[in-house]
Formats: sequence, structure tokens, C-alpha cells
Amino acid sequence: MAHGKVSRRTLFAFLSPAVLGLALVGIVPLLYALWTSLHFFNLTKLRKVKFIGLENYGSVLTDPVFWEAMGRTFFLLGTALPIQIALGLVIALVLHQPGLSLLKTLTRLSLVLPMATTYAVVGLLGQVMFNQKFGVVNQLLGGADINWIGDPTNAFIMIIFWDVWQWTPFVALVMLAGLAMVPGEIEEAAQLETKNWWTVLRYVQLPFLVPGLVAVLILRTADTLKLFDMVFTLTRGGPGASTEFISLMIQRVGFRGFDQGLASAQAIILLIITIILAQIYIRVFYKEV
Amino acid sequence: MNLKSLLIALALASTLATGALADGHWSLKKAAEPYAGTTIDVVFLLRPGYEAIEAMLPAFEAETGITVNIIKHPYENALGEQVRDFVAGGDLDIALIDLVWIGNFAENEWILPIDEFTSNPDLADPDLDIDDFFPLVLNAFGGWNDVIYGLPFDNYSGLLFYNRCMLEEAGFDGPPETWEELKDVYGPALTGDGKYAFALQSKRNETQSADSFARVIWPFGGSFLDENFRSNLLSAESQAGLKFRQDLMQYMPDGIVAYDHAEVVNAFAQGDVAMITEWSAFYSTVVSPETSKVADCVEIAPEPKGPAGRKPALGGFSLAVAAQADDDERAAAWLFIQWATSKANAVEYLERGGVPARKSAYADMSLAETYKFIPALVESWQDGVPEFRPRFAEWPVLTEIVQEWGSKMMLGEVSTEEGARILGEQMEAVLEEAGYYNGEKPLVQ
Repeated sequence: MAHGKVSRRTLFAFLSPAVLGLALVGIVPLLYALWTSLHFFNLTKLRKVKFIGLENYGSVLTDPVFWEAMGRTFFLLGTALPIQIALGLVIALVLHQPGLSLLKTLTRLSLVLPMATTYAVVGLLGQVMFNQKFGVVNQLLGGADINWIGDPTNAFIMIIFWDVWQWTPFVALVMLAGLAMVPGEIEEAAQLETKNWWTVLRYVQLPFLVPGLVAVLILRTADTLKLFDMVFTLTRGGPGASTEFISLMIQRVGFRGFDQGLASAQAIILLIITIILAQIYIRVFYKEV
Repeated sequence: MNLKSLLIALALASTLATGALADGHWSLKKAAEPYAGTTIDVVFLLRPGYEAIEAMLPAFEAETGITVNIIKHPYENALGEQVRDFVAGGDLDIALIDLVWIGNFAENEWILPIDEFTSNPDLADPDLDIDDFFPLVLNAFGGWNDVIYGLPFDNYSGLLFYNRCMLEEAGFDGPPETWEELKDVYGPALTGDGKYAFALQSKRNETQSADSFARVIWPFGGSFLDENFRSNLLSAESQAGLKFRQDLMQYMPDGIVAYDHAEVVNAFAQGDVAMITEWSAFYSTVVSPETSKVADCVEIAPEPKGPAGRKPALGGFSLAVAAQADDDERAAAWLFIQWATSKANAVEYLERGGVPARKSAYADMSLAETYKFIPALVESWQDGVPEFRPRFAEWPVLTEIVQEWGSKMMLGEVSTEEGARILGEQMEAVLEEAGYYNGEKPLVQ
């Protein structure tokens, strides 16, 4: 062993606990899900478990209900995420301005609160706040009589609202961290060169924001694809199927219909879509930097 | 005395000397002696009938030395939690069985027939009196394929709860007799100024299929399945019921598709809705001044009749001994079930907010003055339909289909015909895969 080099045994010793832990909590369940997805595996019919190859995958890929739920999920992502990024960026730029340090500190602290609120609690809060008759939202709207939870469109808007409320602070904090990476002298030089804030943002600050933005895209996409607790407690996917996002559908199939095989196939397909999207984000956005 | 008689006499004497019949009288205390210190696990719901028995539990535990460990779940989680426990060979010693779960639990052999215990003189209370249970309730809640597995515990029938004060103000001296009357006469008269004549809980969960969808097809002569287990939802009768529901929605609060039990009971208790059809279990909530603004105005009647007669919603639970329990736990579990559903405890259970299924509990007519739901309940349990919702093992899948398409019908996203067609096709696909059409499974629901 050359001087200064760490032996392979030491490397293994340090790495193996983490790898083993990851394998136990991540890889083993994933492999089990893969196995069940290739079987007829219904919890209430365990005597009939049998290998059926890719039949579950065929059922999922040709099931319009699955694609409707997927479409709904991406529509949520496509509407909520741009709002979160826009609002998050505005908040970050405001907090990046010099001065008012105490107020900014308090604001930064308060930004953590929505993120720290349990998803299920957000849903329960939503039930109360958006109650048609007694809810504070209708009261704030001048005693409006808007049926939020029982109307398909309004229920969807309500979900977007809560997602934006809970996750805009996360985007803002990531953007703020990105802005803090911009060297002060470059920023000052740019501001001396031009009074146009957009030019400064586009050519000086944005390159430093891109890594954070990619992380936001990946995390928020994954979060939205697995969005469950808040919607389950708030609308349970209803009314009708208007807020049945893909994770709610998988839970319904796997734990209310007990068809673990089909639900596993749905989950594996969802995982593949998530990985592909993450790869696209990384390649497209990093290429632009 | 010949040898055979001598042996029988010796065996009997030995049983009497060691068992619960030691002094010739069966008692819970003696029956439980061998099982003192045993802990049994059971799932309970967050409903009045469970709070009632929980309040009575210390007496059972003191007398038997058996500890009852209650795991509480909301209804919507109870099936999943129990299925996972039974599949994994978990800790549950007692199964809490909604009437639509009985086929599933029995076919998977997760529960034991009560014969195993009623045939054991050490465990069987001589006063068990199985015939004292309402037959419809016993067979629907606890029976499957002519075998009794569970004893009825938390028992419901759909009832019409009405606000007498609102009805009198509108000029009515009693509740509607028929569904048509409710819609055509009471509906317009009681709807307006933020008040509604009726609310039908229709949230997309079991409420949609049990409380809303099934409630309108049966009184109009419809059903989920015909005698060959093919969909009957496109029949004129089923369609009449489903179209009736669409028409009736004009007299219900907006967003009724998002209303669960809590919402309709609250709307009624706040005086915003004049009538609801709800389970008997919610009686204590609407007559308590602590939870109801209209406690003094609440009256109860049987559900209205349809063209096919009075076909009230039927729901409720039974308790059965879990097959995964060991011998001591099985015995202790049976003793608890027998005690909780006994004749001796039925009136106290009623007084604490539960609804027993014992005929004898309702024999004292003076109780009906305190518990106004009793006459309507007893009448409903004479007319109920056991297969109000099919009780076979496939129901958990079918109910999801009914919930989806039933909600879409109510929202106007599909017509009742189109929704029923798709729903029927999907139901039949499930039943075909299960083996009902090739003779693999008997047509039992």
C-alpha cells in the first residue's frame, strides 16, 4: 500500500454500513416490488399467487384510468411548479437585497414553517379552512359561497393552492442559497454596468441558480409524483376522480383493492418515469449553463 | 351400571369438577379462570358503539383477568389494517367484520366458526341464546355460506332522521312515506334560504357505494347483480333509482359528493338539512344537546318506501375469533365476544350509545320512549336485504368501481346509463376473473 492511500478494506468498512442500510430500506423492497409486479399477487387471494410475466405491466399501460391519473398529476406539476419557481425567485431576490437584516432573518425563519407542517395536517387544515359554510377562506372572500371541496375544478385549485403554499418557501430558500453563491464583486460590477435588473439576473445570477433550480425540479417532480398524504386527508381523490393523482391511485389499487401485483407494476412504471424526467432535467438544464 | 355408562359418568364428573360448570352453574369468572392474564387484541372503530363497550370493559377485565387491547382505527383503515395483520400472521385475536367483509374473511379462513366454541360447555354461556339475535342481522353480519362465524356487535339499519320542527314549519305533520313524496312534495317545500330538504352522504369511499348508490337502487327494485351474477345496473329498476338520485340532488346541499357521514350528521345537527337517511349508530350524536342544535326536534322513522317497498340500508359489524390466535387467546377472545354481545349486557350497551342486535333488548317498549329509533330499527330489521351490498370476497374491488362511477354519475360526468354500462362491465370482469362464471365459485353473495 502506497503511503497516504487508504486500503480497500478500510474503504469497504466505512462504506458497507451505509450500503447495507440503503440496500435494506431501498433496494430489497424495490426488488420485492419488482417480484410482485410479475405475479398475480392479491393479499386476499394469496392461495392464487402465480407468475404472470408482464401481464400487470400490460394492464397498467393500457388502463385509461392510470393515464388519466398520470395526466392529472402532470397537470398539477405543470401548474404548481411554475408558480412556486416564480414566487420563490421573487422572494429570494427580495431577501437578497441589502439592509433590513432582522426582518429578513425573521422572514427566512418563517419560510420554514410551511415545510415543517406535516402533509396530512395540511390536508386536515384545508378541510376546515375551505369548508363552504364555516371556512375562513370563504369568509375572507367576503362571505362567498364557493363550494371548494365538492366541486371538481375548485378541489383541484385548492390542491394547487396548498402545494404552492407549502413548497414555495423551499424554492425560495434554494434560490436564496444560489444567489448567495454569486461573488459580490461580480454582482456589483454588473450593477454598475447596467440598471436593467433582468440583465443582471439573466447573465450574472441565473448561472449560479441553475444547479439549485435543477435540484428543485427533480425534487418537486418526485414530490408531486408521490403526493399522497395531503390529498388523501383533504379530498381522498374526489370529488369523483378529480384529484386522484397517481400515488392515490396506486394506494387504492394496492391497499383498498389489495392487488399488490398491479400496484407494484404501477409503482415501477412511476419510478421509471421519475428517473427519465430527472435525467432529462439534468441533461437539458446543465447543457444550458 | 355398565362400563360405558360408568366411563361417561366419570368423564362428566371430571368436566364438572375442573371446568366452568364446577358447581353446576356456568359463570364467566370460572370459564375465564384458565385464561386469566391473557391479552387479546381487537380493532375498534371511532364510533359510539365502540365507546359504549369500551366503557363497560373494566367489568369484564375485572371478572376474567383477561386484558382486551383495543386498537382504534377510522372505518376506512380498518379493513386494510386487519387484512395486513392476518396475512402477516400478526397479533389480532378478534376480527371486526363489516357485513361486506365476511365473505373475504371466511374464504381466507382468517376467522373461526362459532361452533368451535358453542360446542364447548366450558366456554359456551348457556344463556347465549343465539335465536335471540335478529335473524337477518345474525346471518348478514356474522354468517357466510350457512356457517355462523361472528356475533353481531355494532349494528346498523338505515333510518330516516327528520327535524320535526322544520317539517311542521313547512306544514307537514309527519315524515314522507315514500321516496317520491320526499322528492316531489317535501323537497321543494323545505329547500331554500340556505336550508335543504335532504342530504345523502355520497363521498367517494364506502359511503358512496353503501349509503348513496345502493340506497337508491334497492327501493326501486334494482340490484347490483342478477341471479346469474351479471350486472343488473342497466335494468329499468336500477336506472329508475339512479335517475331518482340525480333528480333528488336539487334538494341537497352543493357538493354533496364530498359529504361523508360527519358532514351530513353535522348539517342535520346544525339545522341546515331537514332530513337525512343515516345509520342508527348516529342517533346519540343528533339527540345530544352537546353535539346538536336540534336535539329537541329530532324524530326517527323507517327509510321511505320505493316502488319495490321499504328496502332500508343494512350495515353493521360482527366480532369473530381470529384463526391466527393461539388456543388460550381463542378461548379468551370467544369469552369477550360472547360477553360483549350477550343478552345480559344488551340494555346497558344500548344505554351507553350502542345498538344491540338482541330482540330481547327491545322487548321493553318503554325504552322506545327514550330511544326513539327503536321502533323504526326493529321494523327495518324485518325488511332488510342481506345482500344490500354483495358480501363476497370481491366486494373490496367492486366497491372501488362503484365509488368511481357512482361519483361520476352524480357529478354529471357520465349519464346514469353510460356509467352503469361501464360499471357493469368492470364488475363482470372482476367476477369472471374470480371464477363465478365458470363454476369455480358458487353464486353466493
